[in-house]
Amino acid sequence: MTYQHENAQSRWEKEVEDILKRFPERKDEFQTSSGIPVERLYGQDQPDYDLGFPGQYPYLRGIQPTMYRSRLWTMRQYAGFGSAAETNKRFRYLLEQGQTGLSVAFDLPTQIGYDSDDAMSEGEVGKVGVAIDTLADMEKLLEGIPLDKVSTSMTINAPAAILLCMYIAVGEKQGVPSEKLTGTIQNDILKEYIARGTYIFPPKPSMRLITNIFAYCQEHSPKFNTISISGYHIREAGSNAVQEVAFTLANGMAYVDAAIESGLDVDAFAPRLAFFFNAHNNFFEEIAKFRAARRIWAKIMKEHYKAKNPRSWKLRFHTQTGGSTLTAQQPDNNIVRVTLQALAAVLGGTQSLHTNSRDEALALPTEESARIALRTQQIIAHESGVADTVDPLGGSYYVEALTDEIEEKVMDYLERIKEYGGAVQAIEEGFMQREIQQNAYETQKRIENGEEIIVGLNRFTVEEDVNPELLKVDEALGKEQIENLERIRAERNNEEVKEKLDILRKHAQNPDKNLIPAILDAVKAYASVGEICHVLRDEFGEYTGS
Amino acid sequence: MEKIRVLIAKPGLDGHDRGALVISQALRDHGMEVIYTGLRQSPVQIATAAIQEDVDVVGLSSLSGAHNTLFPKVVEELRKRNAEDIPVIGGGVIPNEDIPFLLEKGIKRIFTSGSSTDELARYIKQLVRPDEALDPPKRINHIGIAVNRLEDALPFYTDVLGLSVEAIEEVESEGVKVAFLKIAETRIELLEPLHEQSPIKKFLEKRGEGIHHIALEVDDIEERLAQMKRKGIQLVNEEPKEGAKKSKIAFIHPKAANGVLVELCEQTGGGDV
Repeated sequence: MTYQHENAQSRWEKEVEDILKRFPERKDEFQTSSGIPVERLYGQDQPDYDLGFPGQYPYLRGIQPTMYRSRLWTMRQYAGFGSAAETNKRFRYLLEQGQTGLSVAFDLPTQIGYDSDDAMSEGEVGKVGVAIDTLADMEKLLEGIPLDKVSTSMTINAPAAILLCMYIAVGEKQGVPSEKLTGTIQNDILKEYIARGTYIFPPKPSMRLITNIFAYCQEHSPKFNTISISGYHIREAGSNAVQEVAFTLANGMAYVDAAIESGLDVDAFAPRLAFFFNAHNNFFEEIAKFRAARRIWAKIMKEHYKAKNPRSWKLRFHTQTGGSTLTAQQPDNNIVRVTLQALAAVLGGTQSLHTNSRDEALALPTEESARIALRTQQIIAHESGVADTVDPLGGSYYVEALTDEIEEKVMDYLERIKEYGGAVQAIEEGFMQREIQQNAYETQKRIENGEEIIVGLNRFTVEEDVNPELLKVDEALGKEQIENLERIRAERNNEEVKEKLDILRKHAQNPDKNLIPAILDAVKAYASVGEICHVLRDEFGEYTGS
Repeated sequence: MEKIRVLIAKPGLDGHDRGALVISQALRDHGMEVIYTGLRQSPVQIATAAIQEDVDVVGLSSLSGAHNTLFPKVVEELRKRNAEDIPVIGGGVIPNEDIPFLLEKGIKRIFTSGSSTDELARYIKQLVRPDEALDPPKRINHIGIAVNRLEDALPFYTDVLGLSVEAIEEVESEGVKVAFLKIAETRIELLEPLHEQSPIKKFLEKRGEGIHHIALEVDDIEERLAQMKRKGIQLVNEEPKEGAKKSKIAFIHPKAANGVLVELCEQTGGGDV
């Protein structure tokens, strides 16, 4: 440290002392969402960080050497509602508007393995996503969309294998071999138990289905991301930034352990693991979070799992802006929130991004709102200049300090989860759920007592009548979907369906069998999601919550 | 007094239970006994659980858009089991335009995104035990003194007593111009009539300058007025009106309070008062 610097520093400290006597600071203590204390100023001791280089281990500064200077992130808006035909229209609209990848939202019956005519599906058909019963619906959903050119992300977990097989089958019909398909299935059952709730089977058979997919895709769809290990929903359920990274990486390790245990070589499947994070409000903490996650995962894969292929070390991730940060009050304010969150994701080096629409605290987005959300990304990409250099905040005293601090706190959590015997056991004992709920409750209390300010909700409020134009899902849709399903059941070869389901049942009984080929055959015979899941429910049982 | 028992339930397939869990914990902190059903409950399961657990109220949460189908079903299933006396309330992502339909179907009230858990707890207490004593007033918000002219009256308070003027404003609804002088947690409110019809003018004519009213700060002013009305207490205002500094106010008749005019006031949340 130079004499000059020391001199300037002591002068500054003196001035601070004088000023504080007259004007106290806004708060006694400043903290990030994860409770990391925020100092008045960083870099006083001029730390010398070894940041490494982008595209090089441990990838703190990004997974590619040139990042967005070569290729921008993929703008991937999650969409889906009502019928397959209606969603197909929205997809084509988004592609025309310059979106570069598809992201399919499925309705809850599809996600939980019930057909549209099941009693459990009442009131839910087509509500939060598109209803898919059989291959026929998937054909309509993807009609006119070239699967060799567009990559598709599917938010599907417990029945991921079935929807993946449907996608492969549609590809075949379009003349696109499965080797050429690109996209992602979420396929992350552990966070369903923790935070999202669309589980079907108990952990053990669920992990089997997942590792079966890893093995099958390695051979037949090597460009497909076989899992998207998701912190997004953990954050939405109320965790803080540190918990989001810690629980996600712990789940990631559980999948790697399961795959290795099933006999796969780590470098055979690890390059196809993808991640999915939330972009929340605390701007610098979020940027630091992405950077820390990348560095931790690289170390885990290289040092703990001894992966040799550098692609196994790289944490590639999708980001979605934080849905639970949106307010129903003054909904246009949400555009500004989304912009800041999206900027944090870009400065954190995301590979793809979904920006939420302003009306999502009220209902599913309208076409106009969805367009503004996409335009937000395009403005960041093309007008702000932030994509023109790699890791522009690298070396920022504050961001680097936060990155280190988050890494340290995440490692503490990973240690605690290890003591439980890993993520699966920690979940079964409710550890992560309790941690998240406690944080959610404390956040709510801070908002209600005004300690945490939400503009338009607990400060700067106005009298307003919030009745914007909302997207309505046609109530007749459920009935139509059921009629279509009945027609397919009448037209298909039911002998063949029965035969394929019987084979699936036999394979399910033998833990050494990979289930994917039997599921693919059943799907091609137009067996429904519900029928296939019922066979597996019979054999595997159902998870009933912890 | 026995604890209020609440069933918090997630009907349908929706897996978002952050709200349900936070509310369960908040109501427990408010001294209630809360039973949470867990995910994926059918209306029949919810109605059965409500009866078996002998709850006082059922709270439904849905974020998936299935509320119009499932909430009324719960009410219906309760009715089928002769348990329509158990009130059902709901919350989640529910568009405003759906609320009238749900109320018509027998749901007592819908709390949408951004509602506070304190508000919910108060509502449940009022719904289940309407005649249970409310929390007593929190403090004397101010003492109102009728004066002929503010500028003549103020020097005593500011120069002699050394109090400082917090605000001067006109309250149209009362036909007065008021000055607030802060003393620790409370205030003195000097009231000058704005015109001949002002109630303060009449007061001055009849009695001259002097103490006009005492204002007590309360929560739930509407509920409190309704409760007083049921108890036959004579009120000047049966519904609250807008008072100074964005508050809601209502007067109790002096006959009910030993000759003192008592004002109830509630600070309405949000903005900087």
